[in-house]
Amino acid sequence: MASDYTDTLQRLCHHLKQFTGPDVEITPQTDLINQLAIDSVKLLNLIMEVEDEFDISVPLNALADVQTVHELANLIHQIKSAK
Amino acid sequence: MTSTINLEGKTLSSTIAKLNAPLTQAFDPRSSSLSPITIIPTPTPTYNTQAQRLADFETLTAALEYAAVGNAGYNFYDAKGNLRSVLSYQALRQNARISAERLSGLGLAYGDRVAVIADTTPEFVELFFACRYAGLIPFAMPVPVNLGSHAIYVQQLRGMLEGGQASAALANVDYIGFLREAAEGSQGLRWVGTPEELGKLSPLNIPLQANHPDETAYLQFTSGSTRTPRGVIITERALMSNLRGIVRNGLGIRPGDRCASWLPFYHDMGLVGMVMAPMVAQVSVDYLATRDFAIRPLQWLRLISRNRATVAFSQPFGLKLCTLRVRDSDLEDLDLSSWRAAGVGAEMIRPETLRNFAEKFAPAGFDAKAFLPCYGLAESTLAVTFSQIGQGFQSLRVDASTLVDRKVAVRLQAEGRKYSEFVNCGRPLPEHTVKIVDENGMELPDLRVGSVLVHGSSIMTGYFNNPEDTQKTLQPGNWLDTGDLGFLFEGDLYVTGRRTDVIIVNGRNIRAQDIEELAEQQPEVRTREASAFGITDAGDVTTIVLVIECRLTSITDRQSLTGRLQRLVYMAFGVNCLVELVPPHTLPRTSSGKLSRFAARQGFIQRTTLTDQLSAESGDN
Repeated sequence: MASDYTDTLQRLCHHLKQFTGPDVEITPQTDLINQLAIDSVKLLNLIMEVEDEFDISVPLNALADVQTVHELANLIHQIKSAK
Repeated sequence: MTSTINLEGKTLSSTIAKLNAPLTQAFDPRSSSLSPITIIPTPTPTYNTQAQRLADFETLTAALEYAAVGNAGYNFYDAKGNLRSVLSYQALRQNARISAERLSGLGLAYGDRVAVIADTTPEFVELFFACRYAGLIPFAMPVPVNLGSHAIYVQQLRGMLEGGQASAALANVDYIGFLREAAEGSQGLRWVGTPEELGKLSPLNIPLQANHPDETAYLQFTSGSTRTPRGVIITERALMSNLRGIVRNGLGIRPGDRCASWLPFYHDMGLVGMVMAPMVAQVSVDYLATRDFAIRPLQWLRLISRNRATVAFSQPFGLKLCTLRVRDSDLEDLDLSSWRAAGVGAEMIRPETLRNFAEKFAPAGFDAKAFLPCYGLAESTLAVTFSQIGQGFQSLRVDASTLVDRKVAVRLQAEGRKYSEFVNCGRPLPEHTVKIVDENGMELPDLRVGSVLVHGSSIMTGYFNNPEDTQKTLQPGNWLDTGDLGFLFEGDLYVTGRRTDVIIVNGRNIRAQDIEELAEQQPEVRTREASAFGITDAGDVTTIVLVIECRLTSITDRQSLTGRLQRLVYMAFGVNCLVELVPPHTLPRTSSGKLSRFAARQGFIQRTTLTDQLSAESGDN
């Protein structure tokens, strides 16, 4: 399962690149709010891309506990595993 | 994940799906069989079997008793556009009455408040009506929408539970955890649970009393406020008066009408406009959850197209999302020609938003004459003015500098002058009057900009348990101060802006006071040393600015405060904000020592020399 998580993380980071300059490194600890400045509109775009990419549905209640890249990757991974 | 509903469709067998299906389906003859064959539900029909009555009822439950005789109802669609559940008005009546008997068994007193987290589900609607049947006062609470908002969301819920003095609170499995956290240590709450848990209680077998027109129908909380939420009190009489105005005068509802909506049930436009108004006219509605619309706006348009909806409302922001996010290649499959009432309201309407939408969707059969700008607010139940149905939107171009300098709307005489264009929001509903007044409360003539005041039969009784704010908002003679600025011209209302106490970002109303209170909760920030306001650039993008008087000298400390404030504002409101730290005594104060947000905003604009990039807005005060 660990490799699945790594794969999820990599694919997620690919989508997150659009929010940063090319020289910014995105790590699991990167803060989505402070460092990537994902506002509510950007968030919608991101969720749509994530849902399409991973073929999942992300429930709103789970996002309330997501602040970092790792937490989002972990959430996606959990939803995928539950399928 | 606790949520199974969200994973349905692809992953769960129909048997499991049925176990997780809304309570309502237990009463639905179509799905009562236990056979594992997937039963495809059919939406309630557009053409009703009963004679249409347009909101001529004394109370909401009286209206439901009538609607239950016909075959219209509510239909709930999932993110992929599949029909998830059907709640006919008949089933709603039956389920709501049973839930009312269960609520009656909780030992609550007549008129006690019941808080319900309002996801777009049949259960919410059933609970809302169950409360009315049981003589209880429901109020809707929002769902969490922002990243990392857990703690602040719980705080918001707690504020509403306390502000509304709720005796019972309900949420579905997705949100019950947040609700239980918020309810911890509460003195007033006697019962907290899910609709399923309520369903396990035994119904108290007592006859349900009819509601009286003068009793409170519900509370509507006006913003996702942190410490000082305000619950608008609306009586049955006010509600029915407003609904009558909406379905008869505003929309001219007739047989063949059908609604499609993504508006949240915890918002007045969603709840009053798209849950209650269709029911009191026995019209069917197709729902898409707000979240699903926000992620894929095309689904809403598809619903309109497929089910031949005639009435669908949106905030301007929702229309913008459609324009931005729907691909041209998607237009081929859309037929929006049935859409005769495209209601627009709940925030300032910019003509460009409507023009862009019309241009984008004309190839899909959208008729710009369907635009129906309107104006209203929760404090007047929902609607105050409607423009003429079927006429499209009208607007007025006025000289920008005269508007700002002299607060007068002078119609543009010559081309080339800088102008502001305002959308005509139409005339007040019957039994309602709008007037414009200056700072001294003196009524102003046509084309003079001032505060918009409303008088009429759907005005709130007040804010629940908040005489201070009630007194500020309901002026002598029961004139409601809307907090909006505008002018009248030939009987029609033109809204020109909000006063500085509310900031509208991406379609959401955010109270400046709430942002300032968040800041003041930080140890480094003293009371009355934070000022929040919005600035809107020429591209119609609003940014929240938070100016803080700050004594910190170390760069690390200052950065820590700035970062923390941006984070808190994001978590609470889902928007980024600009934080400016200024030396003490920078923020302008009034003679009584109160901060002036208007002056703070002017000061910020001067410091940052943004003047030219901002769109002209008429005189805030």
